[in-house]
Amino acid sequence: MVDIATIAFYLGVIAYSAAATLFFLDLARRDGGNVRAQWAPRLLAIGGVLHAVHVVTASMLSRVCPIDSLHFALSFTALISVAAYLALRERLRLFALGAFIAPIALTFLVGAQFVGHGSDAVQGVSRTLLMFHIAANVGGVGLFLIAGASGSVYLVQERRLRTKKRVAHLGSRLPPLDALDTTSHRLLLAGFPLMTFGVVTGAVFSHQMTSGGSAVLLRSLLGYATWLLLAGVLVLRNTAGFRGRKAAYGTIAGVVCMLLVMLLYAVRGSAGGSL
Amino acid sequence: MIVVVGLSHRTAPIAVREKLVLDAEGLPDFLRALVQRPEVGEALLVSTCNRVELVAAGRAGFDSDLNLVAKACIEALSANAPDIAPHLYAHVGGAAVRHLFRVAASLDSMVLGEPQILGQVKEAYELARATGTVGSVLHRTVPRAIRAAKRVRTETAIGSGQVSVPSVAVDLTRQIFGDLSGRVALLVGSGEMAEAVARLLKVAGASILVVGRTLSKAEELANAVGGTARPWTALSQSIVDADVVVTSTSAPHHVVDYEMVSAARKARKGRNQFFIDLAVPRDVEPRIEELDGEFLYNIDDLSKVVSETLSSRSREAASAEAIVGREAEGYDRWADAEQATPTIVALRARLSAALDEELNRSFRGKLKHLSSDDRAAVSKMLESSVNRILHQPTVRLRQAALERSSDTLSLEQLSSAISELFSFDAESEATSSPDNGAEPSDAEASGTGSDEGSIPPRARVVASRR
Repeated sequence: MVDIATIAFYLGVIAYSAAATLFFLDLARRDGGNVRAQWAPRLLAIGGVLHAVHVVTASMLSRVCPIDSLHFALSFTALISVAAYLALRERLRLFALGAFIAPIALTFLVGAQFVGHGSDAVQGVSRTLLMFHIAANVGGVGLFLIAGASGSVYLVQERRLRTKKRVAHLGSRLPPLDALDTTSHRLLLAGFPLMTFGVVTGAVFSHQMTSGGSAVLLRSLLGYATWLLLAGVLVLRNTAGFRGRKAAYGTIAGVVCMLLVMLLYAVRGSAGGSL
Repeated sequence: MIVVVGLSHRTAPIAVREKLVLDAEGLPDFLRALVQRPEVGEALLVSTCNRVELVAAGRAGFDSDLNLVAKACIEALSANAPDIAPHLYAHVGGAAVRHLFRVAASLDSMVLGEPQILGQVKEAYELARATGTVGSVLHRTVPRAIRAAKRVRTETAIGSGQVSVPSVAVDLTRQIFGDLSGRVALLVGSGEMAEAVARLLKVAGASILVVGRTLSKAEELANAVGGTARPWTALSQSIVDADVVVTSTSAPHHVVDYEMVSAARKARKGRNQFFIDLAVPRDVEPRIEELDGEFLYNIDDLSKVVSETLSSRSREAASAEAIVGREAEGYDRWADAEQATPTIVALRARLSAALDEELNRSFRGKLKHLSSDDRAAVSKMLESSVNRILHQPTVRLRQAALERSSDTLSLEQLSSAISELFSFDAESEATSSPDNGAEPSDAEASGTGSDEGSIPPRARVVASRR
């Protein structure tokens, strides 16, 4: 079992690396690189399968539910991003977004190895509720990562069209602006209820916990900031036509806050602290 | 080897080219009549608005002088229009092969890298096949030209980007909106280019609104492009409704100003909008670009994209020429090696015939008792023996055809020696052999075939250009 988990991990890293390279080369290509365009998503899918095998076998080994541990939760988040991207790429023509998703998946898969292993359950907190809390957050983060990536590509594409530079060369390789805007919006809509649940349950845990200190406070504040930013993007879009560039900036700001929360978790996880 | 005779945008103005237009119905008869000439064995005709070219191969016996084949083609082409003769060019042998490869790869096109020519060459080949005017030479040559063209398109960026203002405008629209089905395009004013953009947008799935100062003219234009006309007073509302606005009026001032677009943007709840201003002086106030989600390209911006694409294609042309050069060299090597084919085919036929004769005699005599399975086994054994015996001579003959070294015996010397020893005429025996001159497989016909196969012996390679 150890061997399977390890082999799946290394093969997953190779597949993600190759996919990231091919996506990037495809984005920068000057010729009609059909082979790269075909193999990049295939390798990403293969990496996703290996990633899933790694998560399942490794969690069975350590007898930890994949979403009950920060180590696996981080890894699982990347897996959700990959699955969501592969499911949406054809329908929304998000081909070039793979150049962002593949490196994110690789970073999370490898980065999770440096985060504390084992269950992060804490005393005085309902274990069932904790699992739902983590599951909701993992799902939300996975979707928001793609929303953030879509927002970033939107800004690149929008700037290029505005400055009218390299329009002929790079144009057709990046997704259309409207597709990026729609993707970002739909993913925010899908991830927002999950995140709301995560924030609410997180508030309950904070109240139940006897200690925590400034790190917990900072994490909570960043969590609320993320929620407020993304809620603001969604509300303003419907009420004030807050689309395109502004929506992209808002989404990216929210995702950055979310990543900071995860970073704080990771630092705490590495230090072996509690929730 | 082949000849290519014709005229193109490089040698003849449109007034001359239009004299040589052959209607599709009459083309098969023209090709059939051509291959009935004593010199011409095979022919196909590539006819586009920028070129008319006959690709032909000589009949057996005329392979040695392709100039006569070229002369026959020139006569056929200029029969009904004698004054085109000074504009005709003729490529013969290796030069003709290279020319055909360059044409198929769109390196000789008026717009470098345009994709239509490859399809037109394929159509010409298919039509000639259906007419029955394609034989073993063109069956081996044209698919190779198609293959070279496909390589050029996939391995270089010679076909990337758009090279006309209307197509660039539609390409940019797609970069903003993606699928144009259900999108609304507004045409303000008239003009050839604006109409062309509207037609392309319509084909892409957008619905068209037309607004003009004169409603009757707007209705006329709307009917022409399949849209709906609106009066000039509906301009502001039409801008609210439209995702793409194409302007081309002769107004001396801005027709679409900042305030109008700003108000429309609010009504549209910030949805992206693309303005294509084809007018000079400009119809759309440039300041609208400051608004989030509003994109504006004027005629200069679009022309700049076109010239960027063209210069990018020119840079790619060198790589494309290199690919065509390598493919043509490969064809030459293959054709050289195939010069040994008549001797090899004749030698094999002679040996097989002798063995078959002896075998049949034995089957009727001493080996009469053998069952049909045993007879098949003996036949198979002898066939394998022939293959083994002929392997080394085959390799040696092909080497001689390729090397042309003064240190070793030449192909002609070896062929002559074999003919002398076995008392046969390689040319006539090879021509009568069923192995020679077969139609190519589907893979070869589609330009993906291997180098295996045979063509008639290579003719004297001369190149001439008027």
